[in-house]
Amino acid sequence: MPETDREPGFRLEGYATENPACDPQSPLEQAFRVLDEARPPKARSRGRLVVGAASEIVPGERRIVDDAETGLSIGVFNVGGQFFAVKNVCPHLGAPLCRGSLHATHRPGAVHEYREDFSGRILRCPWHGWEFDVVTGKALYDAKSRVATYACEVDESGDVVDLV
Amino acid sequence: MSETADDIARSGAVLPGDAIPIIDCDVHPSAHSRPVEKYIPAEFREALRQGMGTQPGQGYQNPFGVQRRDAACDDPEQTGRDLLDRYGMAYGVLQPPGLSASLSVNIDAGSAKARAWNDWQAAEWMDEDDRYLGSICVNVNDPEEAAREVRRAKALHPRFAQVVVGGESCDLYGHRRYYPIYEACAEYGLPFALHPGTEGALRSSTPVGRPSGYFEWHTSIPLTFQAHVISMVTEGVFEKFPSLKLVLVEGGVAWLAHTMWRLDKNFKSLRSTTPWLKRTPSEYIVEHVRLTTQPLEEPQNPEHLLQVFDMISAERTVCFASDFPHWDFDDPRRVFPRQMDPDLRRRILYDNAAELYGLPSLEETRARMAAKG
Repeated sequence: MPETDREPGFRLEGYATENPACDPQSPLEQAFRVLDEARPPKARSRGRLVVGAASEIVPGERRIVDDAETGLSIGVFNVGGQFFAVKNVCPHLGAPLCRGSLHATHRPGAVHEYREDFSGRILRCPWHGWEFDVVTGKALYDAKSRVATYACEVDESGDVVDLV
Repeated sequence: MSETADDIARSGAVLPGDAIPIIDCDVHPSAHSRPVEKYIPAEFREALRQGMGTQPGQGYQNPFGVQRRDAACDDPEQTGRDLLDRYGMAYGVLQPPGLSASLSVNIDAGSAKARAWNDWQAAEWMDEDDRYLGSICVNVNDPEEAAREVRRAKALHPRFAQVVVGGESCDLYGHRRYYPIYEACAEYGLPFALHPGTEGALRSSTPVGRPSGYFEWHTSIPLTFQAHVISMVTEGVFEKFPSLKLVLVEGGVAWLAHTMWRLDKNFKSLRSTTPWLKRTPSEYIVEHVRLTTQPLEEPQNPEHLLQVFDMISAERTVCFASDFPHWDFDDPRRVFPRQMDPDLRRRILYDNAAELYGLPSLEETRARMAAKG
């Protein structure tokens, strides 16, 4: 599929070749690899969950934090060098969504056309495979459905912080 | 069912008061008194005499006969009286025996038979009474020729209202080999109708083995309808042909709710395998699929049928059919639950089919029928 055929604005430029999990040539097991267990936040303060050092979460990786105090579980994804935080609960049946795979998918196209998408921002729920865009939280199967997302920043000490 | 004096008073071409005129989407003309043979194209008469048009049977017979004992449908005038006049019907859609021409052993003989049945409908039925609408028979196994036949038939008679094929087929109807037929349908705004009757002719009528009798066979007919609907929706036929309508005749209605829900549920998980679908499968179904009622499910609690109607958006998707003169005929005055909403009754008896086939509004038709009386 020529680059020009991709939907403008969706694919993060240069990302497909940087992220092995989302490279069209990489084997599927990359996408299905077992994740580390969820961790507690490194620190917390009012409205801020400190996830950990940004440098530890490389592009294509994610870190899940469980905050025992509030019961919040959040996954932070590094998509092409930017961080995005997604609630770790699938809106369908409550599965740990952020343990799903960052998967290639097909964007809408003409009948019998397969417009591959290796942007690395499509999260598939580990249970039923419902697809969500980690950047916007929106579901791909229905524009009205979404998972909660949180603003995210890297603080002066280099830690990723979820603004909850 | 015996008729009351009131029912009989209501028979005849005059439509009483505010009665709803009816469109019957499934009328089965037979050729006993008006043979089809003379309509067979001359160059195929010998081929058909040689048996090249033979069709395998499905092997199941109703032991008590498929025809009603008290009715026949082999004369347009008599059927006009016995069916259309009696029930206050404005239109009857013919479903001729040629709908299974695709099963013919020889592909060209099959196309010739389809053509003969189309000429027969035009001359023997539609020319006789303008209340009859024709169904264009085609041989789906030669899609290019089938498309030519659709165009030929439409030029032959303007009241051909749809294309009809059998539920038994070589491929699921979502298959792209059938696109030429859908193109021709779209060109004339003709719905594509599916009618059973021959399931089991080419293979087992169920995917898991042959039924042991007509009872089993007849009950499992909706299986093929489900398979074709799932195929046409997921393969994107309605994305490719946005004006195409699919009409499911004689398959019942209650299974559709399950099919819509399961399609929608799986769409959330498996959407990326059919990325051309821009809407949920059930949205395509409500917009593009129409079901005719007969043989309408008759649950012990009639309220349950009304709940099913609600689940499948019957106010858009369901059209009345009697299946006259077959054994499982449904009487339009008695088959629906008494407590059914009058607006829904009107949609099912007239409006949905009128919109499907591009017929005049109920009010126009009622006025025309009253004037005729």
